[in-house]
Parts: sequence; C-alpha cells; structure tokens
Amino acid sequence: MEELLEILNEINPDIDYKKENNLIDGKLLDSLSILTLITEICDTFDIEIGPKWMRNENFNSIGAMWKMIESIQNE
Amino acid sequence: MTITSLTFIAFIVIVFVLYYLAPKKLQWVILLCASIFFYSFCGIKNTLYVLITASTVYVATLWLHRLAARRDNELRVQKDILTKQEKNLKKAAYQRRRKAILVGTIIINIGLLCVFKYSHFAMEQLNGILRFLGSGQQIRDTWNLIAPLGISFYTFQSVGYLADVYWEHYEPERNYFKTLLFVSFFPQMTQGPISEHEALSKELFKEHALCYKNFSWGFQRMVWGFTKKLLIADVLADAVKNLFTGYAGYTGVSTMIGAFCYSIQIYADFSGYMDIMCGYCEMLGICLTENFERPYFSKSVEEYWRRWHISLGAWFKKYVYYPIGMTNWSRKLAKSVKNRCGKYLANTIPATIALLVTWLATGLWHGANWAYIVWGGVNGLFIILSLWLKPVYAKTKSMLRINESLWIWRASQTIRTFVLVTFIKVLPEVGSLSDGLGLWKHIFTEHTMPGSLNALLPFVDLSITTKQIAFGLCILFTIILFVVSLIERKAPARYYFNKLPAPLRIMLLVFTVFLLSSFGVLSSWGKEAFMYANF
Repeated sequence: MEELLEILNEINPDIDYKKENNLIDGKLLDSLSILTLITEICDTFDIEIGPKWMRNENFNSIGAMWKMIESIQNE
Repeated sequence: MTITSLTFIAFIVIVFVLYYLAPKKLQWVILLCASIFFYSFCGIKNTLYVLITASTVYVATLWLHRLAARRDNELRVQKDILTKQEKNLKKAAYQRRRKAILVGTIIINIGLLCVFKYSHFAMEQLNGILRFLGSGQQIRDTWNLIAPLGISFYTFQSVGYLADVYWEHYEPERNYFKTLLFVSFFPQMTQGPISEHEALSKELFKEHALCYKNFSWGFQRMVWGFTKKLLIADVLADAVKNLFTGYAGYTGVSTMIGAFCYSIQIYADFSGYMDIMCGYCEMLGICLTENFERPYFSKSVEEYWRRWHISLGAWFKKYVYYPIGMTNWSRKLAKSVKNRCGKYLANTIPATIALLVTWLATGLWHGANWAYIVWGGVNGLFIILSLWLKPVYAKTKSMLRINESLWIWRASQTIRTFVLVTFIKVLPEVGSLSDGLGLWKHIFTEHTMPGSLNALLPFVDLSITTKQIAFGLCILFTIILFVVSLIERKAPARYYFNKLPAPLRIMLLVFTVFLLSSFGVLSSWGKEAFMYANF
C-alpha cells in the first residue's frame, strides 16, 4: 500500500489519498494522470491492467486500487 | 418528422399519454413501439439498420457472456487439478474466441457505418491517388448511399455496450426487445447523448409514476430548448449561411462576428435539442446523461471538450484513448523512454499518441472529409500542446506572480478559449478545407473598418420587418442564454425559476410559448434541421 501511495503522491501531491473516495467521479485525477498511474502500477507491481479493470470504482480510492491490484495478482 | 415540427409535438404528446395510461410494467413497451414508429416514419429502411445493429449486438453480448460463464465454471470445477499455466492457457483460449466475437460484431456494425458514411470519401481519395499516378481510370460512385438516421449515435452506443460486456463490466440484457429499445430509444436516437447501457437501462426499465415536479421541470426545460433552437439558432442560421457562402465580400471584422454567431448558433441548436429531449424524458421520469456543462465558460480547449458533447468525449476516452494508452506497446514505449529520458517524457509521449489517434478519429466521426479530420487534428494539437507546455505555464505563472483566482485572469482564459474554439469550429463548416482556411486568412488579412451597422453585419438581412423582430428577439434570448449560463454555475436555472411566484412563472412560460409559436413559425418553424443530426 505504501508503494501505491508513493506513486499517487508523485502524480498529485495535493490530494489526501487516505481520505479521498472520489478520485475519478470527483474529477480529481484527469485522463493523463490515470494513464500515468496505470503505467506506474503495472511497472511497480508487475501486473497487467487491461481495459476490463477500467471502471471508476476501481480508481476512486487508494483502497479500491489496492483491492484491484490484489485481484489481478490472484487471477 | 423534424423535432421542431407540429407532427413531432403531437407524437410526443400521444406517447406521453399512452405511457402513463399503460400498466407501469409495460411503459418500456410503449417507448419501444414509439421508437420503432418514429424510425419507420422517417423511412422504413432506417428500422432495418437499427434491427441489424440490435440483433447482432444482442446475439454477441449473450454469446460473450455464455463463454465467460463457461470459462469460470470450468476453472472452478478444475481448480485443484489444473496448474497455473494450464489455467492461463484455458483463459487465453476462451479469450481468443471472445475476441473473435467482439471483433466480428464490431466489423459488422462499424462496417455498416463506414459504408454509409465514408464510402464516398474513400472513393474520392482513391480516385485522387489514381489521378496522381496518371491513370485515366476512375472509380464511379454509383451507390448514392444516404446514411440511416442517427447511425453514428446508435452504432457507437451499441459498440460501447458490446465492449462493456466483453470486458465483463456487467451482464448483458437477456430480453431482445429491451436491447432493441436501448439501441433505438427515439429521444436520443438522432443526436445522442451516447449513453452507457448500465445507466440508461436502469432508467428505461424501471416503473415511473406521473410526478408533478418531473412534469413541470421537464416542460420548462423543453420550452427552454425550443427557445434556444427556434429563437436563437434558427434565426442565426440564415446569417451564418450568408457568411459561409459570401465571406470573401465582407470585412474581416464582420467575418469574425459571423464566426462568433456560428458558435452561438451551434450551441443553441445542439444544447437546445438536448434540453428538449432531456426535458421530455424528465416528464417521463427518465433521466438522460447530460451532454453540456456550460462549455463556453471553459478555461482551456481540453476543459471545453469535457463540457461540450460530454457523452461523445466520454465514449472516445473509454473505448479509444484508454485502450490505446494501455496497450503493451504503449507501456513498453513508456518504459524505454523512462530509462532514457526520464519520467516526464515517459508519461507524455504515450498519452500524446493516444490523444492524436483519438482526436483524428473524433474528426472522422463528425464528417467524412479532410476538413473534419484537420479539425480533429487541430483540437488534438491544442490539447497536446497544453500537455507538453504545462511545466512552462507553471513556471511562467510563478515568475510573473499571476494570481489565478483573480476574476480578470479567469475571464481572460474563458474569452481566449471561446475565441480559439470558435476559430477551430468554423474550419469544417464553410464547405471544404481550403474554404475554411480561406475564411481564417480573410479574418486576419481584411482590415477595412465597417462604417455602419449594415456594413458590420452584412450577412444579416435587416430589411424585412419580421426578420428584424426575429433578430431582435434572437439577441435578447442570446443575452438571456448567457445570463442563464452564469446563473448555472451554482445550480440549475430552473431551481431559481421555480422559486418565483406561480402566476409569474406561468406568465413567463405562456409568453415564451407565444413567442415560439408566433415568431418561431414566422421565422423558421421546422425549416432548419438540427445541425448535429448530420453527424
């Protein structure tokens, strides 16, 4: 989780990721940030995020992202 | 049956009555019958193409879902027998079959769209190449195809649904007729919004009771939509047509004013349609996806495209931009750039490629000619430039100590964006790419100052009394449109409107309906088709 928080902070340090539950629906992350985020997550956790996982609810909070990473790793 | 015709108004009134008289479980059936009637009324061939799209998408989505269920079942049953590698092989085998179904169905539907919309353009290009190679042979376009009504919109909506089922975002609809209604729902068939199945089906298939608030708010929105269309867009239509055909004879200033008139016209036209249809759906208890969020108050081209034709932008983002940006080669490219040039370029280059493809495709979606492709490219270029220059902007702003919260700074950004998008907008509308570029050149090279109002607005016919009044009303309602947009920064204007005393509200509505039915009829009732129906 710490690694994920580090990635997110690098993309936009002004957001409190531990509290925020509306990163996509609240338009806090734009499309470029999302692409950057996906590339970084794939590299760091050695996983592949396909379009299948591209749902707002998978990126709305750090918890949801972490859950998605675990699901992909267990696939 | 044009949306502003009395026939259409009679049609929606009948549908409204039947919808609320029918048992609530059958309300969606009324909508389906109305949609098929609407489509067949506009040409029986239209219905055939809608049926092809609905049927292929229906079969494909069920098939995709069945294969996924079978895969999951086999993996569950053989969980302890198969190794991880064998599981992956099984998944890949199923995925190949699913991909074949997806690609096949996309080819059928996008293929139909391409045949109708792009075959003439493709033949023109082919003939151009043949001429360039010195060949005397030319391919004759004898098909004379007319694109079925709303094909660009319902094809995209259906393909989006297909992709969502392929990605297993949700389960497919098992009732064929419900799928048919999703594809053919008449209020959004000709100009969108392009809805996601998950959101629209929830609205279409739930039971709706007649509710006073929905009725009055929906009616008010419809009246506002008709006002925008008939008293602003249609009145400006003649002036804009005159401008586009005869700009060479006008001064640069007049041409620029004409270009701004076009910006107002297309916004009043397209958002007017959305207000009419969203308002009508609200009266039926159905909430449609919003397509506009005061786009002319945007502070950048990128923001403008998040607020103009929102559902199309969201479609391209979800089904073109992200899939391109997430491909293996894109990630490999990012990795290799990161090792050589650092993180900033690693993030920017793949996004630039994805943006460029997305914007060229958006241009092509709007029209089959080079002017639209260039228009898409120019929009993409501005967005890409703002992406690349972001650090420069940030540095410059901090060096100059610009206070971004100052209203003058925000207003200047808004005006700059409005001017930019107006210039980009007129490019494909003049006729051809060279005409569009000619109009741009004319604005900057023709410096004669007009001496009178007639010389300033030569494309406006001010000689006939009715037209004078209609144009006066058009200016008045454009100002009202601007004020409403300002008000809507905080809440929908209808929220404030409904706080007014009831007699005043009724008086205002009756007065507007009177204006619509008198000056609307006199100026252009039903004469001008909606502009986005051409896309």
